[in-house]
Amino acid sequence: MSTEPLPAAGDLVVELDLRAHNAVFVGHDRYFVLHTGGRRELVLDRCPHRGGPLSLARLTPDGRRLSCPWHGTKVGVVALRRTALPMVRTGERAVAVLSGVPTGTPVTAVHKRILANLPPEDIR
Amino acid sequence: MVTTVGTPSTPTTVPYGHPGLSTRIQAYAHNRLSTGEPGVLHAANPYRRALAPAAVAEVDFERPLDATQMTGNRALSGHRALGTFYEADTVLLPEQGLDSLRADFDLFYSEDLRRLREASMSDLERYAFGFLDDEVDVSGTWTVAALDAFFQHVAGQTERGRAESLAAMEQSTRPTVAADLYLVQLALDGLTEASAMSRNLGGAYGPEQSALFKIFIDEFGYGVFEAKHTTIFAKMLRSRSMATHVHAYWNFYLTGPLATNNFYYYLSRDHAKFFRYAGAVTFAERVFAPAFVQMIRTYRGIFGDEVDLHYCDEHAHIDEHHGRITREQVLLALAERHGPSVIPDLARGIAQASWLGGWFESDTAAQIRWSDAIGRYRELGAATAAGPGTATAHELAPQSPFSTRNHDGAVVLRLTEGEADLVTMPTGEPDRLARGDAVLVPAGRVYGLRAVSPRCGYELVVPADEH
Repeated sequence: MSTEPLPAAGDLVVELDLRAHNAVFVGHDRYFVLHTGGRRELVLDRCPHRGGPLSLARLTPDGRRLSCPWHGTKVGVVALRRTALPMVRTGERAVAVLSGVPTGTPVTAVHKRILANLPPEDIR
Repeated sequence: MVTTVGTPSTPTTVPYGHPGLSTRIQAYAHNRLSTGEPGVLHAANPYRRALAPAAVAEVDFERPLDATQMTGNRALSGHRALGTFYEADTVLLPEQGLDSLRADFDLFYSEDLRRLREASMSDLERYAFGFLDDEVDVSGTWTVAALDAFFQHVAGQTERGRAESLAAMEQSTRPTVAADLYLVQLALDGLTEASAMSRNLGGAYGPEQSALFKIFIDEFGYGVFEAKHTTIFAKMLRSRSMATHVHAYWNFYLTGPLATNNFYYYLSRDHAKFFRYAGAVTFAERVFAPAFVQMIRTYRGIFGDEVDLHYCDEHAHIDEHHGRITREQVLLALAERHGPSVIPDLARGIAQASWLGGWFESDTAAQIRWSDAIGRYRELGAATAAGPGTATAHELAPQSPFSTRNHDGAVVLRLTEGEADLVTMPTGEPDRLARGDAVLVPAGRVYGLRAVSPRCGYELVVPADEH
């Protein structure tokens, strides 16, 4: 991963190798790579209810929502995709842009287990 | 197993209608302007360009290219045809006058060939570039600031990088020959410069249209032929004692450069791709100036004052302005005016242009390195030919049409009769092959064979592990 601060815009560009990274920590914010219909998007890893890790949520049987592991809050995939950072993927490399990041904010790209990309949970 | 390949028959008429794309491209490749001529360089005739019909016949055009097939015959044959189709939509007239070429002019722009092109163009574009939609994906919620940050990042990386082809040139055992190959790749666009851009000058799209036009008139020398970029490009070729007509070096255009040139036509022909074009041209104009600064340094190092670099000086200067104009007055202005829905396409154009620029560089560098190392590839060829494989036999005569080609996988070229020159570069001495000599041709490397004895036979051996 490489990062490049852009002082004029206050934006931060993060370069990811998608074979090695599927999540990014930016200060206290977390993002993970969500697979949606053949695409990969870098979405916010925070449940709007109490901030639970949606990367560890499972899809509901209809595949349309994620069930937060903390309190079972159902978060629509469409709504989650609206939190996606602007990102361009070329092959297995991706460049994402983070806006309004304070100077000196630590940024880390990691690989972690993501349950949200598994097939819908079988409730039988 | 040896199969003898005969000379393909030339149809006297071109079929109408919409048969399969492979059939249509093969029909086009058999017109007499495309079947090649004995010379290594094309004569001063803009209508003739060898499409290597035998190589075209090997391609299944119904199955689009993917990102792993960028160096082989499938890509080269497709992009040669596509480039020819695009240029047939431009006006090409020979410098010496049309008198002796009237019949070729009539055929090149004939209704038969035009109908064939029109029936094939969209399918051929999908064949050649469809994979880009999978290879480059844009997601998320974009703002103008995010677009600019992305652009600055991608362009900055290219600016700071060392051009792979220039590095290969400097390390070459024949740097002057390698430098000529690079000029040839630039000639593809240099001799018809800004033709793709001209497709986006029409219509009505506000101040951004006027900004693009400012760049266009620079390319065209403000209506002064001596200042037109194609004119000063030809001056550079002339200083290297190279031919200056369109397209003398057709046989030596490599796949990556052909695809890069075609890409701008592809985006310009279909105005649904206009925002992608705007992103791509902004990227190109931004990285041109530093690229030409690098090129000037390399060429001065190789040739001293023996080469005319006015063209490079002009670009190193004017593209500083073009880079600024396209970013501020085209890219960001379009994003501001038309809003978030167009920004992903602008970003996609930047990313795709960057990707193709890398292909241009790596393909050119690979050809330089292979041509430099033919001695070693002779040894590899002899060793590989001794193993199992499938061979096809071919015959050549000194007056056989000359055309270059490449292959999707590695092959061994083995001479079975007579003598022939293996031509891998547009200038410099070719490599003489005698009966029994073999050369390993890696996947994607472009070569031609010219008989120097009255009879000449050779085999192409596909090693068993390439099947």
